[in-house]
Amino acid sequence: MASQFSGVLQLTDLDDFITPSQECVKPVKVHKTQGKSVAKIQIEDDGSYVQVNQDGGKKKLEKAKISLNDCLACSGCITSAESVLITQQSHEELFKVLRNNKANPAEQKVVVVSVSPQSRASIAARYNLSSSEAGRKLTSFLKGLGVHHVFDTSFSRSFSLLENQREFIERFQRKERDKKALPMLTSACPGWICYAEKTHGDFILPHISTTRSPQQMMGSLVKGYFAEQQGLSPQQIYHVAVMPCFDKKLEASRSDFYLTKAETREVDCVITSGEVQKMLEEENVSLNELEPAALDNVFSSVCGDEFLSHAGSASGGYLHHVFTFAAKQLFGEEVKELTYKTMRNKDFQEVTLEKDGVVLLSFASTYGFRNIQNLVQKLKRGKSPYHFVEVMACPSGCLNGGGQVKPVAAQNPKELLQKVEELYRSERPLPPEDDAHVAKLYHSWLQSIGEERAKELLHTKYHAVEKMTNGLTMKW
Amino acid sequence: MKETLSLVQKLSAHPDSRCWFVSWNPSGTLLASCGGDKAIRIWGREGDSWICKSVLQDGHQRTVRKVAWSPCGNYLASASFDATTCIWKKKNNDFESLTVLEGHENEVKCVAWAPSGNLLATCSRDKSVWVWEVDEDDEYECVTVINSHTQDVKHVVWHPTQELLASASYDNNICIYKEEDDDWECRATLTGHTSTVWSLSFDAKGQRLASCSDDRTVKIWMEGSESRQSDVSWKCVCTLSGFHGRTVYDVAWCPLTGALATACGDDGVRVFREDESADPQQPLFSLAAQVTKAHNQDVNCVSWNPKEPGLLASCSDDGEIAIWKFHEED
Repeated sequence: MASQFSGVLQLTDLDDFITPSQECVKPVKVHKTQGKSVAKIQIEDDGSYVQVNQDGGKKKLEKAKISLNDCLACSGCITSAESVLITQQSHEELFKVLRNNKANPAEQKVVVVSVSPQSRASIAARYNLSSSEAGRKLTSFLKGLGVHHVFDTSFSRSFSLLENQREFIERFQRKERDKKALPMLTSACPGWICYAEKTHGDFILPHISTTRSPQQMMGSLVKGYFAEQQGLSPQQIYHVAVMPCFDKKLEASRSDFYLTKAETREVDCVITSGEVQKMLEEENVSLNELEPAALDNVFSSVCGDEFLSHAGSASGGYLHHVFTFAAKQLFGEEVKELTYKTMRNKDFQEVTLEKDGVVLLSFASTYGFRNIQNLVQKLKRGKSPYHFVEVMACPSGCLNGGGQVKPVAAQNPKELLQKVEELYRSERPLPPEDDAHVAKLYHSWLQSIGEERAKELLHTKYHAVEKMTNGLTMKW
Repeated sequence: MKETLSLVQKLSAHPDSRCWFVSWNPSGTLLASCGGDKAIRIWGREGDSWICKSVLQDGHQRTVRKVAWSPCGNYLASASFDATTCIWKKKNNDFESLTVLEGHENEVKCVAWAPSGNLLATCSRDKSVWVWEVDEDDEYECVTVINSHTQDVKHVVWHPTQELLASASYDNNICIYKEEDDDWECRATLTGHTSTVWSLSFDAKGQRLASCSDDRTVKIWMEGSESRQSDVSWKCVCTLSGFHGRTVYDVAWCPLTGALATACGDDGVRVFREDESADPQQPLFSLAAQVTKAHNQDVNCVSWNPKEPGLLASCSDDGEIAIWKFHEED
């Protein structure tokens, strides 16, 4: 089985394809109960462990379980997480919830699916549809299965872009006092976050924007605002995100995005574009033949029945938005068009704002592991000239995510990627500050809950993973 | 005309430790060695004997597994189990540490300079192969990270004239890489060995590649002539089996004489000669000379002097270097 994680996560100890039971080295906490006397442990034919007391009484021993959180907090392998993930986050899980809903209408969960624009473009390419058509037909397919709401993560991405912009200005203003304020590195890519936490810990984490990714912004919106509006507890909502990337499953599983009181995740399940395609196949549905449905405009960036997007890169346009805003806000410069200068390779680009020969802003985008590596090394040597870097783990960014629909036989992957990009770009860009619905939520909802709570809902934290020096972690 | 290997000198190079690798500088005047004692030693000839000219210490925290000279002979790269690669610059008769390349997750197993001197390849137990680019200011940047192997990568070697890279791994395979559309790609996977492939060596022109393995064989691979220009295809044209009692750790193709030397876990050093009358598509090799107890322990490496025909260096787990002369028997 080939790993579906991004290349960054596949590096090194991260792709050993083991299941926790086989080779996991994570020390498991076992709750010991004080025993009375000596006992024997017997292994049964089915592999279970049974404690045999001196009086002959038997007691089945509890199995030590490794949860996904254990995996994420461990510096050992990561793909143990993969097998755990497959059981917790797959389209099978979504089907299960939908079946339960039908079987027990009384305990029905409200099922919300938030679709990323990159997934929409990927699915559109497979079925030769426009991106908006694909979105409408997908809405129709999902609602037909029993999904209650289909949202669009371009909508929550407006929050990510606006928060990124605010955070950047704030960091820029304290750059003299705080050496770690700049460069600010983007946080939307979970492969990059995982790599940074596991490999470069305390050195790099302060540079990473605390702004939540669009997926987790949507988590806040759905399990916070939306639940409240609907008079539901967060637990009564089953929230699924459709993403171009397998690593997003890891992101949804982070403890930072678990609502302890409500005992539920903000995003319960992430399925990839490819898994949606699999669902269509399993249900014997051709997307082309479905009647398009009206778009859900609760949390969607739409204009009529057309989806709206953001300018800049197809990985979210973080650099574009922050650059344009900062140029204006900090230096009064109106930037109409950004000039991307390709550096060492196409996945490493620079954008600068110059005035009278002085560089005022120096931004870059670095995609793929090799460019991330050079960025990190430059930072370590104090040779990074950048104020802001849009970092993505995948070469070519999110449209090329590992979860995208695979090319059909004889289809050239590069040509497919180009087609997906064209479809993605055909959605009209809307500056995030011009989205009236987003502005309204900032104004009403986020102001009403207070600054601190708003920060919790829009931002997150990172945690350096300590390297295990345990000899058991050695794998040859 | 019988040929033989005669011992020129033995050097206690890395006492109480292993000597992992030896490498001649391009002009053949200096030999660099590295070992389990974390040190690199530079050896030069004085009169009739080889002596230690300098010791490079404090560059690495753990075993230094391989060393490689740049094509200009002014830089030395060292790959270490401490996960770093050190670049040393020659200054008069001394070496100073210029930079440390970080990035591999764990043990770096090998380092090699491309013939242009602008590219450097490293490989690691982390299963990846990296290519680095050097600019005029001696700054190194990572050009690519390739994950084509499924296990520990033991060795990397560049084609003598083209920008073509080959790697050998614990996954029993050999991969051949080329740059394609601004990134490097694995263009061919050579399968055939039934255990770890430990080392690789191109012949002088780069038409053939020799590989050696834990399966006790040496294989000769040849670039397919029928392949279209964009394809890279290598096929095995010869397997040398039955000569080695244990793992073959290293293989070296002499650029001057075409002789093929091997280093073996049975403590032996062997030299093979190609039958020149054989069909080039089906080459034949015969054992020309061997020293069965060349060292007291496993022989880790063999290296031909690039300027003096027949001068061969080998090194061993016993910490010693041996200098041999391969020549016709008197």
